Amino acid sequence: MNEKTVQRREFLKLVITSMASFAALRWLPRLRMPAAPLPKKDEPDGSHSWAMVIDQERCNGCGYCIKACQASNDCSPDITWSSLYQGDEVGGEPVYLPVACMHCSHAPCVSVCPVGASYYRADGIVMMDYDRCIGCRYCQIACPYDARSFNWDSFNEENPLVPEWGEPDVERRPRGVVEKCTFCSQKIDRGLARGLVPGVDQQATPACVQACPQQARIFGDLNDPDSLVSRALAENPSYRLLENLGTGPRIYYLPVDRLNEEQS
Amino acid sequence: MINRMKAVKLNGFSAWIGILALLMVAGVVAGLVVFARGLVVTNLTDLVPWGLWITMDISAIALSAGAFTFCAAVYLLGLKQFRPLARTATFIGLIGYSMAMLCLLLDIGRPERFWHGFVFWNTHSVLWEVTMCVGLYFTVLVMESLPILARWKLLRERYPVLVKRMEAPHHYAPYLAAAGLVLSLLHQSSLGATYGVIISRPIWYRPGLAVLFIASAIAGGLALTMLASILASRFNTLIELKDEIIDRAAVVLGWLLVVYLYLRFWDTFAMTYTYQPGRNEGFDVLVGGPLSFNFWAGEIFLGIVLPMLILLNRRLRTQPLLRLVAFICVVGGVVAYRWDTNMVGQLVVRGAFLSEEMVYYTSYLPSAVEIISAVGILSFGLLAFTLAVKYLRVVDHGPEISPV
Repeated sequence: MNEKTVQRREFLKLVITSMASFAALRWLPRLRMPAAPLPKKDEPDGSHSWAMVIDQERCNGCGYCIKACQASNDCSPDITWSSLYQGDEVGGEPVYLPVACMHCSHAPCVSVCPVGASYYRADGIVMMDYDRCIGCRYCQIACPYDARSFNWDSFNEENPLVPEWGEPDVERRPRGVVEKCTFCSQKIDRGLARGLVPGVDQQATPACVQACPQQARIFGDLNDPDSLVSRALAENPSYRLLENLGTGPRIYYLPVDRLNEEQS
Repeated sequence: MINRMKAVKLNGFSAWIGILALLMVAGVVAGLVVFARGLVVTNLTDLVPWGLWITMDISAIALSAGAFTFCAAVYLLGLKQFRPLARTATFIGLIGYSMAMLCLLLDIGRPERFWHGFVFWNTHSVLWEVTMCVGLYFTVLVMESLPILARWKLLRERYPVLVKRMEAPHHYAPYLAAAGLVLSLLHQSSLGATYGVIISRPIWYRPGLAVLFIASAIAGGLALTMLASILASRFNTLIELKDEIIDRAAVVLGWLLVVYLYLRFWDTFAMTYTYQPGRNEGFDVLVGGPLSFNFWAGEIFLGIVLPMLILLNRRLRTQPLLRLVAFICVVGGVVAYRWDTNMVGQLVVRGAFLSEEMVYYTSYLPSAVEIISAVGILSFGLLAFTLAVKYLRVVDHGPEISPV
């Protein structure tokens, strides 16, 4: 065997290996599973863009929204998708700030999830795939609004808020996965299928919006210029939480400015 | 028969093995409790979802960095004299990554879905990248460790054909070293970026973390490799150790600590230039709050300054005890750094809701189950290394064993 043959063989080996690795790098990404679950038949199209407006002028801190949410979504008593913060007094009355998942347009939780269990629906709702979640809790670390809850324990008891505050219309989540507000997507989807308008027809509207005795919460479609939310945002000054982070929240707040005006 | 009786008599070695085995059993029981009852048995909360196990996971990965560093030095840079250290480092890496994966298995809420990261890709997630790299690098480590496992005398005598197969990957050592280098640089720095990309926690949200994680990992990996080699040779007089290669690597480690100190100093104190809600409160927690002892004593003085001075001074370095102390300090400093980094972003809760400036604090102390299972995983690592020293002679600076 002369040296030339060996060199040629080595050279051919090198060429074949590098071509194979190039091909692998080029084609391997195409073999991967889609990051978000494949859309099902009843998944929303992009014709709606859901958002919520919370009027802090009207909110009196009763917390009905939290209870209705826990009943409707069958949450464990340890878990609140919707919560309430009490602030300083303005004009002799405390200011309340109800918060929930902001359904960010650029959601940190969706970017960081290692398995793509958090994803955007076409209508803007940030959803969780509970069957895919591995429970690493990186999304909790990443959420600027503390909107996410982990199922540290399983919830097998009766829900104390049912039926007084509502009937559950979703499955309970298993132990070991993260959950959060879904804008009651089940009500929206079922409502739309029956020809109802979410935000207008109660049955197609998130539980917290239905439950609010002060009508402090408004829900609707940003794509529709005549929807309640579009009109509320067009007619009033509004703000969103931590807008400087660039997350693009879908919950808007109407501040308590009018109270200040009355005082002056 | 008499010989066998003698062998099981209580001596230092069997006592050590026995203690480790007991701790491991305790850890397995604690782990089963975690799997059966769920993470409710931990002290983790929605505000502090990452605790002791995650710290142990990222520390084990950091301290395993000696494997890729020494393999790259030997097989890519051609520094052949470090080959015995590369062997020790590779096996420590194999053990370290096993420990890290055990920690993760405990920590994730759905351990039976550990494989989801390999199947469901979210290419935007640094944690997904870390998952893939750790999985692939573990494969590289197994390949690199096969020739080491083939050193087992029993195996060599009984199954020479198998041993021959197991020795084969050694021919591809440079390729494995290159793959290991790429994968390790990727995920070691991405572990820092795992914290660094989190915009919601301003104390983490900075580019320096990725650089610091890799710098500290290389320092810690070098230190642990040499520490383990020296300790093994102290307890087992049959082990031959070449002091000059340890001395040479110790000097490299000393200069690495200078670089790391500079980066750490700049990264930490540059935070005081401006005020940002949440970030500066985190800084206060680090340098003057609950983490301050860890920071000043653990990370800076014992973790960097003291070993740096010892290792860069020839007179101090040549004293075996001081050098050993220096290595222990570096390893401890890296663990302290990982603990502080993981905790500082979670202890400061940015109450962003009512006003931008509102910040409040929380606390975390691991529960008994968390500690026992972590000790169990640590004992597994120590036990595996002890047995590897005895049966695989992973610390051996003598002549190479000739292949079958």
